[in-house]
Amino acid sequence: MNSHHFPISRRHFLKLAGGAAIYSLAPASFSANAKEDGRGFIAEGFSSKDPCDVVALTRKLFEVSGGMSKFISKGDVVVIKPNISWARAPHLAATTNPEVLETVVVLCQEAGAKKVRIADHTIYEARNCFAVTGAAQIAQKTGADLVYPLSSLMKDMNLHGRRLEVWPVFIPFVEADKVINLPIAKVHSISGLTLGMKNWIGAVGGRRSALHQDIHQSIVDLARFFKPTLTLIDAIRIMIANGPSGGSPTDVAVANRLILSNDPVAADAMACSLFKIQPSDIGHIQLAQKWGLGTTDFSQLNRYQVML
Amino acid sequence: MKIKHLIYIRRISQVLFLLFFLFLLIETRLPKDFFIDYSLEVSRQQDLRLEIPVTFFFDIDPLVWLSALLSSQKWISGTGWALAIIGLTLFLGRFFCGFICPFGTLHHAIGAVRPSTKGSEHVSRNEKIPAHKIKYAIFLLVMVSALFGLNLAGIMDPISFLFRFLAVSIMPAINIGIKEVFDAMAASDFKILSLLSYTAEILVSPILGFGYPAYQTGFFIGLVGLVILFLNRIRPRFWCRILCPLGAMFGLISYFSPLRLERNENRCTGCNKCMKHCQGAASPKPDIVWENSECVRCFNCQGVCPENALTFKFKWHGSNKPAPDIGRRAVLISLGTGVAFPFLSRLDGQIHHSTDARLIRPPGSLPEDQFLELCQRCGMCMKVCPTNAIQPSFGEAGIAGFWTPVLNMTIGYCEYSCTLCTSICPTGAIELLSGKDKRERPVRIGSSFVDRGKCLPWTANGPCIVCEEVCPTSPKAIVFQEGDVIGFKKEPIRLKQPYVNLQQCIGCGICENKCPVKGVPAIRVISSGESRSPKNQILLFS
Repeated sequence: MNSHHFPISRRHFLKLAGGAAIYSLAPASFSANAKEDGRGFIAEGFSSKDPCDVVALTRKLFEVSGGMSKFISKGDVVVIKPNISWARAPHLAATTNPEVLETVVVLCQEAGAKKVRIADHTIYEARNCFAVTGAAQIAQKTGADLVYPLSSLMKDMNLHGRRLEVWPVFIPFVEADKVINLPIAKVHSISGLTLGMKNWIGAVGGRRSALHQDIHQSIVDLARFFKPTLTLIDAIRIMIANGPSGGSPTDVAVANRLILSNDPVAADAMACSLFKIQPSDIGHIQLAQKWGLGTTDFSQLNRYQVML
Repeated sequence: MKIKHLIYIRRISQVLFLLFFLFLLIETRLPKDFFIDYSLEVSRQQDLRLEIPVTFFFDIDPLVWLSALLSSQKWISGTGWALAIIGLTLFLGRFFCGFICPFGTLHHAIGAVRPSTKGSEHVSRNEKIPAHKIKYAIFLLVMVSALFGLNLAGIMDPISFLFRFLAVSIMPAINIGIKEVFDAMAASDFKILSLLSYTAEILVSPILGFGYPAYQTGFFIGLVGLVILFLNRIRPRFWCRILCPLGAMFGLISYFSPLRLERNENRCTGCNKCMKHCQGAASPKPDIVWENSECVRCFNCQGVCPENALTFKFKWHGSNKPAPDIGRRAVLISLGTGVAFPFLSRLDGQIHHSTDARLIRPPGSLPEDQFLELCQRCGMCMKVCPTNAIQPSFGEAGIAGFWTPVLNMTIGYCEYSCTLCTSICPTGAIELLSGKDKRERPVRIGSSFVDRGKCLPWTANGPCIVCEEVCPTSPKAIVFQEGDVIGFKKEPIRLKQPYVNLQQCIGCGICENKCPVKGVPAIRVISSGESRSPKNQILLFS
């Protein structure tokens, strides 16, 4: 998370250097986390049983990927970013599945994390969201911290994005040792789908309603700033209509699937297939690949699979 | 029991009830450590509810009970307590004022801890004056008004007054003061300061309110309250003696109380100590007429009398003299105004003609005429609303509805799953709803309309559709259709433009709240279509 320490803002530099022409050459210089250990990985978990054993599936998925301790070191402060933006009961699939969330919290604790925090800057009123989605109960049960989007936790930072520059950032994500992105897969009226990278809109404050005016670039700007250690896309239940808020069981389909990757672009790209959509049809996935945040070409990654 | 002990008990009772009041006031909010068991959600309906009886002081308040009974002919649940208080008052006199009333305790403390006058000057401030009649006039006015369908009790009921004063004015004001300090600390580059600011916010916000609530007319509510507290400098317990309609009600009932002050004129040396410490200006001194209806049962006079000339005793025979000093002229005036107010206040046409478009009541609110019969303007719904949408009305509800709750969607919005305000209204002006009721009836509080002159996609200013994203109903009340607009360089642009499906819209106002156009948003909710009013409907069928 060093991008805010540049002595001269990248945008400023690019302006000096002649703007957009050079801009398109830039992506190569941004190394994504996915490449850190040579090759990134992507793991898929699927259960043919319904209802599926979510806890077992989540645990198995981490096992085949090398175990949580491969990603979380002893003494780490881990911040988990679920999508709990809506005060909706879990079965409506508007928010991250609480069983997945709870299992990830427990896995982090088992891996020796010093502190596990659950944080989200919700769209609906935060206390309602945390109470209704199960996040508050999980925090109470596991001893994880629930971080509310208080104004004292929003701090102006330079995102050095193409569209977003100085913007209030929800500080726990910046100060964490490890960040786990834990979105739920849903359809979205303006960004097509809301998966992993879109989830970072819940990690900033400020005039978020203006982000829709250039949604794909905004998502990529945020995804460049927040680089999670892992992205785990919850597709146990997915929202196929009335997204992203839903509200009716008829908006929900059961997919019984989880996607885990250290490549944020690959995770999102793989989740597209749940909706029978090509990754190339989703603007921000395309853009993110172009900017070098990851790849939509799964052959470049180690692939693991779990069936339950 | 020695009189000294009784005075100690009174003080302890006053402090405890005041603290209890403050505790309930603070607890009137959605706490942060609140959860529902998600694994049971599908099988069992669960709504967010406060587990503490936050309406306690309203339940024991006979003025709330009587005014609601007269105006709506409804028996409010929980007011059995109020009858118990009336029963005790018949027996003990105005003990509520001296022992329980938290507002009275505040006045008592301000007047007694640092009196503004001393000696004979102070004695003269504690003499009964003709102005004491005013409270009876106010009480009668409120009751007559209530009888004709306008419940004004809450404006001057001490419990409502104090709750509103603290919840809607003083606490948010302190909160905003603290916020500015926090913001300065959070912005600092010293990590310890920003950490401290977070810790402090965690500690302070559960007490003073999450998210720094703001209330329109909060300044005015605060000013009125502060002036009333200041009046203690002019006369101790100015409010209780001269203005309080609840005190007047208890004063009238006290007429029947057998607990009287027995005075031994032979022992009295005229030292005036009793006059100096009298809280109610009830003339305890033996050579003037003691007024049972003014006495707030503080027992100070008996306690301070060096000659033991004064003793409270139950006397079962004979009647109290004098009767409460109401004044015939004051009665006539208050009867007249009490009849006139309800009808004068309807001249704005809110009830019989058309409703103000901004008059958006909380979900579950009764039809407007019944609402005004019951609403105490206490501010509980305003305090408990987690999004700060519920505001004391200024002009939206007309003169009759001054300080009654209205929703302002630019400040907050009505959270789709939340029914907290419906669960705590002390008089039932907002009817209890379950989340299921609210969703499935559905309960509409208004209707939303797109202002195409401001909306970004409609004015070729680019894509947006935030309103559609946040719309909570399923299927969404706000839908978009792709439309072609001509851009500013004459180029054709295809944009998603919002439309509101009025059959789906419930008027929750989150679209207005989240619209990037601030101030006068490009999509706005008006009260039209609210389900509580058969007259205020738009569609032929829905």
